Amino acid sequence: MASTKEKLITHVSKEEATGSTNKVTVVGVGMVGMAAAVSILLKGLTDELALVDVMEDKLKGEAMDLQHGSLFLKTHKIVADKDYSVTANSKVVVVTAGARQQEGESRLNLVQRNVNIFKFIIPNIIKYSPNCILLVVSNPVDILTYVAWKLSGLPRNRVIGSGTNLDSARFRQLMGEKLGIHPSSCHAWVIGEHGDSSVPVWSGVNVAGVSLQSLNPDMGTDKDKEDWKSVHKMVVDSAYEVIKLKGYTSWAIGMSVANLCESILRNLRRCHPVSALVKGMHGVNEEVFLSVPCLLGNSGLTDIVQMTLKSDEEKQLKKSAETLWAVQKELTL
Amino acid sequence: MKRPDVQWITVTSSSLSLPEAGTRDGSLIHCSAPYSRQQQPAMLVSCWCLYLGAQRLYRHVLSMASVVQKLITPLFSGTLEPPRNKVTVVGVGQVGMACAVSVLLRDLADELALVDVVEDKLKGEMMDLQHGSLFLKTPKIVSGKDYSVTANSRVVVVTAGVRQQEGESRLNLVQRNVNIFKHIIPQIVRYSPNCILIVVSNPVDVLTYVTWKLSGLPKHRVIGSGTNLDSARFRYLMAERMGIHPSSFNGWILGEHGDSSVPVWSGANVAGVSLQKLNPDIGKDTDKENWKETHKKVVDSAYEVIRLKGYTNWAIGLSVADLTESLMKNLNRVHPVSTMVKGMYGIGDEVYLSLPCVLNSAGVGSVVNMTLTGDEISQLKKSADMLWHIQKDLKDL
Repeated sequence: MASTKEKLITHVSKEEATGSTNKVTVVGVGMVGMAAAVSILLKGLTDELALVDVMEDKLKGEAMDLQHGSLFLKTHKIVADKDYSVTANSKVVVVTAGARQQEGESRLNLVQRNVNIFKFIIPNIIKYSPNCILLVVSNPVDILTYVAWKLSGLPRNRVIGSGTNLDSARFRQLMGEKLGIHPSSCHAWVIGEHGDSSVPVWSGVNVAGVSLQSLNPDMGTDKDKEDWKSVHKMVVDSAYEVIKLKGYTSWAIGMSVANLCESILRNLRRCHPVSALVKGMHGVNEEVFLSVPCLLGNSGLTDIVQMTLKSDEEKQLKKSAETLWAVQKELTL
Repeated sequence: MKRPDVQWITVTSSSLSLPEAGTRDGSLIHCSAPYSRQQQPAMLVSCWCLYLGAQRLYRHVLSMASVVQKLITPLFSGTLEPPRNKVTVVGVGQVGMACAVSVLLRDLADELALVDVVEDKLKGEMMDLQHGSLFLKTPKIVSGKDYSVTANSRVVVVTAGVRQQEGESRLNLVQRNVNIFKHIIPQIVRYSPNCILIVVSNPVDVLTYVTWKLSGLPKHRVIGSGTNLDSARFRYLMAERMGIHPSSFNGWILGEHGDSSVPVWSGANVAGVSLQKLNPDIGKDTDKENWKETHKKVVDSAYEVIRLKGYTNWAIGLSVADLTESLMKNLNRVHPVSTMVKGMYGIGDEVYLSLPCVLNSAGVGSVVNMTLTGDEISQLKKSADMLWHIQKDLKDL
């Protein structure tokens, strides 16, 4: 007696269906992980999405909720498990797992807690996806990207930190508000350490190639009447502000992660400010990761754009590098 | 022809250290003094003084102009047009935010407004979305406790409301939500009298009726998200069993959203091939393949997800965005949503139940008359009676 399915559908292909070609794994199904997952799904970037976490019920619930939306998506396979075998053969693995900032807490405070978590996560990821590209989001991102790089044994082009991609997006949004222009037409680069000591490169701020600093030479200084410096300060404060108001941030970082994944999965070679190994650049001598403009494609972070920085901007980068190294050398990896 | 004893002094803008922007066509400023050699020193001095004075004046004027004024020449100074594709989401809980993010990521709106009573959370959510503006094509995201931010919306999604307490009767839950909606709905309509309302809050069929009554809008402009999600879940689960994509499996769940929804087995098909023709027992208890189980799983899914993660949001958010797309883009697509069914299938009361509706920019353009079995019709009638039983006792509508 043939089943309904057998009566309806006749299988004709002798080949095995090929596995996924651009699988994405998201580690951690908290607010950031799920925002990244939903953004990636809604952009149709992947044909398979895997979710991993330690909280099994929450994990299963989130996967089911996403699966129930399958009709509206173009990602046919959404899987989830505590066991990393579900992540096998991923092209990109987004790591959002770890403790998050409490109200008023700085990102550096989270370090050791998150290093211990990474010691479990990273080797498991590599075991099942030895050729993946790791995108680290957990904070403090620059240090944890270093940790992920060390623990994974991957070459430096395959370990990327989400870095100041979000800071730059926030800066461009605020700049757009100030000028009455869409953020995508406002160009600005915030580099260096993601967080309190990020560096806005004022010389690069432009619209249609017109340097704003050439129109307003005081830009970024304390004597600037238009107080552009406060735009950068607002960027630094944004995360704390949103955390104070709603308890956490999720949507913006989720969209920024999807933006990076898009460049990687579609091999776009777009330039993004992300956290990369900067030893030997801008006077940095330590093995640290800081955000600089990088080209992202399907081999990961293949190139770095050399910015012409002012001496005080370079000094800030060097200082961040020293702060990061001071924390990193105390870590037991 | 130049006279050999005359010196021409040409002063270019670069030597004055003035930015090219100061002269719109980037032309050179000529200051030439064709005087004889004997008079030159005095003339040079006067010229120099004039130049210094002019430069000081120019710098003064320039320093007053902001970066914006220097950068941009406005061509149009009238009032900007109001938004044409504005969406409002009322309630910034998990469901409301999932709806908001789905609408944003699908590029459906040119303006998004969020409303809630919890002001900090509301502001935080708005800021978080605004920070993602670079990656979006919705240039304006606003929020406020005051409904004036919602003005001129085309679609308003209502997710606000209270959840059932343990042991609480449905009537009591509904009455509490009526009291909330009495505050929300008139305000929405006041600021967006031409909008289409999508009600998501549960129990959705009753609250869509409540919304319709409180809004005074014609019935085709008030929609309940209804069984749109149930049908999506059904299509996902059925398609999984078949090994195909949900969009290639056609199946409708109608009637009341929730435990007594009606799967229309006669309509279930792939490529027009009716599953019921292949398996006449489909959906019945006698079915060896137990397809009925799939409908049961749909009903249980919400409870299951709530048990596991505390709430459901992504699927409902995606389904609301799907409805919004049909409304905003005037697509005339058919969706199972909750609409006023009095006069259909022998139903005499004013109740909202899900039927296949053609959605366009006017709202529910028309309803598809599905051929239902006697059993399916009696299920719809039973739901209608039960809903009316609750609705008739509601106060202050």
